[in-house]
Amino acid sequence: MSQVQGGIGIINLSAGDPSLVNEIKELGGEELLECIQCAKCAAACPMVLAGFPFFNKRVIQAILLGLRDALLDDSSIWACQSCNRCTEVCPREVNPFEIIQAMRRVAIREFALPTLAIEGLKSLYDTGHAVYLAGAGNTRAKVGLPEKPPSTLSYPEALKEVRTILENTELAELGVIPMGESGVTDSCEV
Amino acid sequence: MKVGFFIGCNTSFNRPDLEQAVRHAFPALGIELDDLEGQSCCPTWGTLPSVDVVGWCAVSARNHTIAEQKGLDIVTVCGSCYGSLSEAKYKMEVDPELKAKVNEVLQTIGREYKGTSNVRLTYYYLYHEIGPEKIRASLKYTLGGLKVALQPGCHTLWPSKVYYDKEEDPFHPRVLKEMVEALGATVGHYTRLIDCCGMGAMRSTDMEKSLNLFRRKILSIKEEVDPDLIITGCSSCLIQFDTAQEMLRREKKINFEIPVLHFMQALAICLGADPEKVAGLARTNVKSVIGKILPS
Repeated sequence: MSQVQGGIGIINLSAGDPSLVNEIKELGGEELLECIQCAKCAAACPMVLAGFPFFNKRVIQAILLGLRDALLDDSSIWACQSCNRCTEVCPREVNPFEIIQAMRRVAIREFALPTLAIEGLKSLYDTGHAVYLAGAGNTRAKVGLPEKPPSTLSYPEALKEVRTILENTELAELGVIPMGESGVTDSCEV
Repeated sequence: MKVGFFIGCNTSFNRPDLEQAVRHAFPALGIELDDLEGQSCCPTWGTLPSVDVVGWCAVSARNHTIAEQKGLDIVTVCGSCYGSLSEAKYKMEVDPELKAKVNEVLQTIGREYKGTSNVRLTYYYLYHEIGPEKIRASLKYTLGGLKVALQPGCHTLWPSKVYYDKEEDPFHPRVLKEMVEALGATVGHYTRLIDCCGMGAMRSTDMEKSLNLFRRKILSIKEEVDPDLIITGCSSCLIQFDTAQEMLRREKKINFEIPVLHFMQALAICLGADPEKVAGLARTNVKSVIGKILPS
């Protein structure tokens, strides 16, 4: 059953998942319980101006209520701009942005991530660049630059290093993207 | 003077004219650029930072070690790279346990992160290392007579604790204004100056909401400044301002166009660069405004 019941916005508190709090704290949101819901972060947040249902303060509130499904069913956390206005203004040093990142980490562990995030990670593994445009060689040549930047694209041994790092971190254990020998990504704009 | 140039994905592939602008302006001001060969994605927020902290910091730290081995600081022209690289460095500084875990991962590729290179944003670097007065004296052309609106960009400002170069008050930024004034332009203030442009994760997630946010900002610019040119401090803001106006015009949600350049592009043009190379990929009509900068 959904934790937030459709239409009338009634939240069934007894359906909340108390384990979410610890999970968030373990995945980088250490200061979660410092939050007093003062909403200073919300006043500074572009997500509020843009009209997303969940933004820093509400994400924290939903986590504290254990509303895991409500957060996973909504794409708001993926729209966070990482602008860190909230981190700057928070009077309790909660680092609200870190809590949103931690919630993304929870979502990824439940495979509830947007296609674009998967494509970005795959592109990072395949090319060393999360944003990669296959036709960029022509664009670069047009302004008088070599077709490839002096990055992992030009230095295969550097790409190998990036892949080794990725293969030795949690990304590999989570199995979100295929690793090993892989095809070349055409384009990816995160 | 020499510094490592961290180009970033969007600048490399989307707006390499901006890369060219940096490659022209820095040497013209006496600063040699090092290519930091083998650099990768910073990595950007929607990827590894959203997966786990150690993985994020390990890829970031690898980029840092390339500069560290050469004894150089890093400059970047992209707000996201600036934010991600600076934040990872800060995290490893305040959390030695994290740094140790990252170095365990880096051992697999024979690298060690020390934390000795600073991360700088192009125009802050120039502001502090060269200074507006010297820059003014080096110009071949100026933005004299032009009215400009600014877009500093989120990642240049917050969270201030992670950045090497700080504004006195990040909610009232001054550095970009002083730098644009050094190029000879008149800078107009508008109330939504520090609002987010809507590029990045928001645009990837919900184009309509991103465009509405952008519209609020561009209308404030039009009504309160009505500038000849918008100058951004961030490459992502550049892309949003340069492409979103066209999208809004197509939807009949705005009926004007304001040309947009990144600060480094405006600077490079004033230093005598070929506009086709340093601003040739602009979608907004920058030709007319460049015509006013260069002598006919």
